[in-house]
Amino acid sequence: MEGMDEITDKKDNTSNPFQLYMPLLPKSECQVGEFLVDENGRKLRLNFAHGTTTLGFKFKGGVIMAVDSRATSGQYIGSQNVKKIIEINPYLLGTMAGGAADCTYWERVLARECRLYELRNRERISVAAASKLLANMVYQYKGYGLSMGVMISGWDKKGPGLYYVDSDGNRMAGNVFSVGSGSINAYGVMDTGYSWDLTDTQARELGRKAIYHATHRDAYSGGIVRVYQITKEGWTKISEEDSKNLHYQYEEEKKKKKPTTTSS
Amino acid sequence: MSILHYNGGCVVAMKGKNCVAVATDLRFGVQGQTIATDFERVFELGPHLYIGLPGLATDTQTVYQRLQFRIKMYEMREGRKLKPQTLMAMVQNLLYERRFGPYFVEPVIAGLNATTKEPYICALDLIGCATEPADFVVSGTCSESLYGMCETTWREDMEPDDLFECISQSLVNAFDRDALSGWGAVVHVIEHDKVTTRYLKCRQD
Amino acid sequence: MALECLIGIKFDDFVLIATDMSHIQSIMVQKSDDDKIHKLSSHLVMAVAGEAGDTTQFAEYIAKNIQLYKMRNGYELHPSSAVHFTRHTLSTHLRSREPYFVNLLMGGYNPAINKSELYYMDYLAASVPVNYYAFGYGGMFTLSIMDQDYHSNMTREAGYELLKKCIGEVKRRFIINLPKFRVRIISKEGISDMPTIIAEGEAA
Repeated sequence: MEGMDEITDKKDNTSNPFQLYMPLLPKSECQVGEFLVDENGRKLRLNFAHGTTTLGFKFKGGVIMAVDSRATSGQYIGSQNVKKIIEINPYLLGTMAGGAADCTYWERVLARECRLYELRNRERISVAAASKLLANMVYQYKGYGLSMGVMISGWDKKGPGLYYVDSDGNRMAGNVFSVGSGSINAYGVMDTGYSWDLTDTQARELGRKAIYHATHRDAYSGGIVRVYQITKEGWTKISEEDSKNLHYQYEEEKKKKKPTTTSS
Repeated sequence: MSILHYNGGCVVAMKGKNCVAVATDLRFGVQGQTIATDFERVFELGPHLYIGLPGLATDTQTVYQRLQFRIKMYEMREGRKLKPQTLMAMVQNLLYERRFGPYFVEPVIAGLNATTKEPYICALDLIGCATEPADFVVSGTCSESLYGMCETTWREDMEPDDLFECISQSLVNAFDRDALSGWGAVVHVIEHDKVTTRYLKCRQD
Repeated sequence: MALECLIGIKFDDFVLIATDMSHIQSIMVQKSDDDKIHKLSSHLVMAVAGEAGDTTQFAEYIAKNIQLYKMRNGYELHPSSAVHFTRHTLSTHLRSREPYFVNLLMGGYNPAINKSELYYMDYLAASVPVNYYAFGYGGMFTLSIMDQDYHSNMTREAGYELLKKCIGEVKRRFIINLPKFRVRIISKEGISDMPTIIAEGEAA
């Protein structure tokens, strides 16, 4: 199709997702998040979904991924039903923290790369390789203002996999991760309740509870608590519950559990 | 972020037919961290008189305490309760005293005139410039959302029950779009023979 | 100041206060048996963190004035009144040329009405009664644990175990080494020490 070349912009990213327009400024001056200033000369944050709580942990039954669903820009709540778990393919999940656009774009590109890998090699990509692809992609843009902190999890030949990848260039494997402004709260619940030998029900409840507690304490997290689990059959959506209902449900449960003994 | 947004919180007041209502959220936080969910920033200053003090929590407390002192001195000196308009002037004086180092609160006053039973609402900025509209006043971290809600839900001459519904829906739906306020709400409906205080069941995130 | 950690929990008939024992100056630990819990009266303590110098100066100023009140009047200030006085002092200084830069938790027991009390107060002098709170970055890790496990009618042993759980999490996740926590209990019987908590925990 010779004529097509004339009507398609060869420089756009429809055929090559890595073909992004780069700023005409030196690298040090082009942090997109700090590009604009408001009427008072203060830097404007463009990042949507900066406040977030996401978590993931491995246990004997696979991997649990749990997230909130709030998107804020400044103190304004832009949305209460963001999908912060991205379903890359039936065996891979990615979470979203930081810039929402950055996460969705690069995880979509990752999904494409994973599919291409399958077609080329006639086997599924490993979690390690998938996370490395993402880490390498975003590392290319280091210093240009990308903002993401994601977890990639899945199931491959080696069993369950969980990696943390961010826009600074970090990539690490681990058993327990939490990312976002509410992570400090989620860690409190998750660390004290975590063990490799949790049952499926216990593990799902731990993830759900950790996210709920983060939504309660952290103003920038909230909305719906979504829980996913990964087993060797791939991922399944376990639950999506409104944090409001969880709050009153946990309050009831706590009242019932209240110890009756008092100190002497 | 402005210092007025440091602790979060908002207040709204509305006029009805022979009644007024004032409502607030219950959050006390430090930026993103929620610390208490029972922090009341609307105070009773007389039988039909309430003031809401959203803004920096320390100044909410300081202004309330200093105002209480001045009101008690006034009532002792004059031997009578003070009118809503008098309270407004008193708050103006108190705030303007700190013109060059202000208290970071933007008060809302709601009440009924003790003799005429006339509804009264007003809002002030942090150095004491007052506005006395005929419908509603808003203040605090989600004031923009509150304006939007109140503009669409407020009607003239609402009965106390309708007023309660109107102010509650306005407040809750406004602060559900604001990260820094919410976590419970309290509504006072002031009528000439009674004040009804209700706590609302709200989102806790 | 954010490197220090103060934890306070109020139960039905006692209050537990735990503070880290490290005195940190720039990148050094100057002292590892520091006492950040100041006794204000027979049933009231104040845990203080903040700018070096301000902490002791402010705590002692409050403590001496509360003791002076007792000498003058022959009875002690109740916890809520002492908190009011502290807030007033802090807020007055806030709008002066030399504000005190201190965050504090005040824990007390009011024997007159048999009630335990715990107050949060930050350096801006916002004071709020709370069931539990923890100051500092380390403390932020513990709030969700207390949200989850706190019951007002826990026994002393259960309360102490809850503190240990919190301090374990501080050890596990907080970058600064805060190995030891001093623990005091305030109850009907007054103020007494509980065994020091040595933090245990490692990131998963």
